[in-house]
Amino acid sequence: MILSPLLLLGPIAAAPAAPVQGDLFVIKAPRVELGDGEVMEHAVILVEDGEIVTMGQDLPVERGIPVVELEEGQVVMPGLVNPYSRYGMLGGGYNDSRPQVMASAELYPSAAYKAFLENGVTTVGQYPAGQGIPGQAVAVRPKGDSSEEMIVEDGVYLKVVMRNSSSAKRNLRDGFKKADDHLEKVEKEREKFDKAQAKAKSDKKKSSSKSKATFTPPPADPRVQPFFDLREGKLRALVSIRNAASYAHLVDAIGDEEFEWHLRIPLTRDIDVFHVADEVGERGCFVLMEPLITLVPGTLRQRNLPAEFERAGAKLVLLPRTDSKAGFESFLEDVGVMIGAGLDRKAAVRAITHNPATFMGLGDRLGTLSEGKRANLLIFSGDPFQPDTKLDAVMLDGKFVSGDMDQ
Amino acid sequence: MHLRPNQQRRASRPMRLLVAASLFLTPAALASAPLDDEPAKEAESEEDKEEVLALKGGEIHTGLGGVLRDATILVRDGKIEAFGYDVDVPEDAEVVDVSGMRVYPGLIAVGSFGLFGSSGNLDDSVDPYNQNMTLALAAGITTAVDGNTVAKLKRGHVQGLVVNTSAFESLSYSNGNPQGQLKVEEDLKGAADYIRAFRAWEDEKKSNKEAKEPSKKGVDQKSVKILRGEVRPRFNADSRTDLLEIAHLAQRFGFRPIISGCREGWTVADELGRAGATAIVTPRSRRPKDESLLRDGGSSIENAATLYSHGVNVVVVPGSRGISLGGIVGTDLLHLPVEAGFAIRGGLPELAGLRSITIEAARVLGVDYRIGSIEVGKDADLIVTDGDLLHYQTFVQWAIVDGEIVYDKQAEMFFAHIRPRPESSLAPAERMDAGEEAPAEAPEEEPVEENPEDETPEEETTGGGDGEEPQPSEDPEEPEDPEEPEDPEESEDPDESSTTAGN
Repeated sequence: MILSPLLLLGPIAAAPAAPVQGDLFVIKAPRVELGDGEVMEHAVILVEDGEIVTMGQDLPVERGIPVVELEEGQVVMPGLVNPYSRYGMLGGGYNDSRPQVMASAELYPSAAYKAFLENGVTTVGQYPAGQGIPGQAVAVRPKGDSSEEMIVEDGVYLKVVMRNSSSAKRNLRDGFKKADDHLEKVEKEREKFDKAQAKAKSDKKKSSSKSKATFTPPPADPRVQPFFDLREGKLRALVSIRNAASYAHLVDAIGDEEFEWHLRIPLTRDIDVFHVADEVGERGCFVLMEPLITLVPGTLRQRNLPAEFERAGAKLVLLPRTDSKAGFESFLEDVGVMIGAGLDRKAAVRAITHNPATFMGLGDRLGTLSEGKRANLLIFSGDPFQPDTKLDAVMLDGKFVSGDMDQ
Repeated sequence: MHLRPNQQRRASRPMRLLVAASLFLTPAALASAPLDDEPAKEAESEEDKEEVLALKGGEIHTGLGGVLRDATILVRDGKIEAFGYDVDVPEDAEVVDVSGMRVYPGLIAVGSFGLFGSSGNLDDSVDPYNQNMTLALAAGITTAVDGNTVAKLKRGHVQGLVVNTSAFESLSYSNGNPQGQLKVEEDLKGAADYIRAFRAWEDEKKSNKEAKEPSKKGVDQKSVKILRGEVRPRFNADSRTDLLEIAHLAQRFGFRPIISGCREGWTVADELGRAGATAIVTPRSRRPKDESLLRDGGSSIENAATLYSHGVNVVVVPGSRGISLGGIVGTDLLHLPVEAGFAIRGGLPELAGLRSITIEAARVLGVDYRIGSIEVGKDADLIVTDGDLLHYQTFVQWAIVDGEIVYDKQAEMFFAHIRPRPESSLAPAERMDAGEEAPAEAPEEEPVEENPEDETPEEETTGGGDGEEPQPSEDPEEPEDPEEPEDPEESEDPDESSTTAGN
């Protein structure tokens, strides 16, 4: 098997960990977690311009290509994706519907983003603050000198907060209703326009053929546009719920409306969402939760809700237990605890890499290690979920950005 | 029995941590009816079908006096379609074998708080997974008043709960507030005058088209509604004087009052009966009489009975309208049937006791056309109990709201372990009867014969007091059981002396 079409064969032993130069190099890793739950042993990863060009088992490497040779025991994993964070952002929000607000507007490069990289998070979804419908999130690469440099993709999801209240339900219903109203308005305008056209035509049947007016629909209110985007599948919603009841109210508020929506279920306090685990599982949507064991409210019965939702069929996304440096630091260990408590290990790997990336619509670019994906990867001293494992290095777009493996 | 998929889920959840094996045993073991050999398979396709539920073999207490033993209730689309002995159960029906158990109309709590998670607009704010709702269902309550809204305890649903948004029209008429009393009287008088004028106008209109409709100005519309019989006013009154004045007011203006409290009602029961009153009482409320007065007063255990015997309709509510597991255990909503049982202890007929928490409650709320009794066409709000509803040992086994099983004792964590249903995985290998304590004592003799006799003295007392044979946890499927309780008392006593001594 040939490593790259450009470079001709030659099964050659790797040079001693040469410094990575230029933008072409190889990583030889004894063990790679691919991110989709599978593992590749003795993997060779060829990276060019920050992208994985080829990867495979025991591939021959052309002489002259710099090789990063990992030690036995070291494990490579895709960079973590945290799709739900406000770390590094300031300020609060409002309690009403502002779906047009973009979190990217408040994005600015700061030292805070280093905390992500230091803990292996190479992609972050940052959402606007507030209750109600606070606005749209942005996918960010936690490095860069300007916000433009940091933005991977804007408008990755619309955050919606659902509570057991008429105002929360109204926010959602009214959004779609206003979209309908707008359509009606456009329709009326069009009729008016058509009539005017017809009249104009009959009036100056002979004289004028010069003006071919085209109908321009009145522009949609910026608050309405996101709801069109939802309907058309250009935007997905992330609905934060408080308990099983707010899920029921969410379903009620959505009614017959069809759009892509996923759930944010905070496990930071005891919660009764297990009542709806199977319903959610049937939908197969993404569910964002913390790796925490919770109690059945009012009792001392423990439940591993992430595992339950995963088993039920939901696509699990795990988030740090708190949106803070401390949370990031203990994240993998916390996930390890959940694995110990019954969460499928493969599912756990997916829940911190592939799933969050797919959730934000970036699954074709990152979240897993395979050809064509960004070279965002982590090098661990051992099993990533063991508490004594060290994160040796973090690579973002083919460059080491954190850890001791400098070049 | 076939739980529809979501029920099956709910059923299995709490058990998973307890006993993994019980997961599949429960639904399977319940499927004793011949129709359902493959519960899992049917459960899959259940959702698209019309929802038909059949409760087979139970003792149906209609709540109106009728009792049908070993009968079947058929529920279609949330309504009672048929019940009796010759009911055709369609093949696709979900069948629950309730033989040996009793089926009652779901209970109605005319006052509650905290069952729906919040108050206000329930459709938008109810928490249908609220623990208190489950507990209330465990107490047999399927409908409750929250604030002034009558709503059903539809677990897992946020729509279709509200039955009536104006449960009561409250009036205050108390000696403590003479001004207020005067105002009520004036309003009623004004309304009476208006109605008289209105009727006269209606008559006159036939001959004289010019006749002028009497002005509504200054006329209290609430009072007009009351006098027209469209609503019944509710008063809060406990003292004899207040009760008497309300009775007189009602007789003077011709309306039927609902009186909440009514503690000293037994002293003026005849007056209240003549006024056509309905009393909402708490049989266990205790208040000594005012010693400065010579006449009778204070609370009485016989209050409900006395009122009833004088023609007052009686509705029972517990002392506390919430569910509280600390402090005043025993007088909260969880004990609504027990509270009604105390009215019976005071002499209220058993049927009136049942009616006091079902149909009479529905009547004061104006929803008796839909709920409150087992009648064809009414909402299928039913409870299945393992014994006499008004007995303290009885547990609600299933609660059904609008034809859907919303509570299954064996699937919820609260009471599943107490006298588990025989077919449950929680059930001990040897069956025990209600009140029985020590299976350890049994082994010397044949365990099956032994058990029913282990009854502690409480059991005997109740049996005598009630004149009923509740045998709450009797296993319907085992024929030997009914025979046992008959002889054992004599032969067993010596053995059980230790247990008895304890009591």
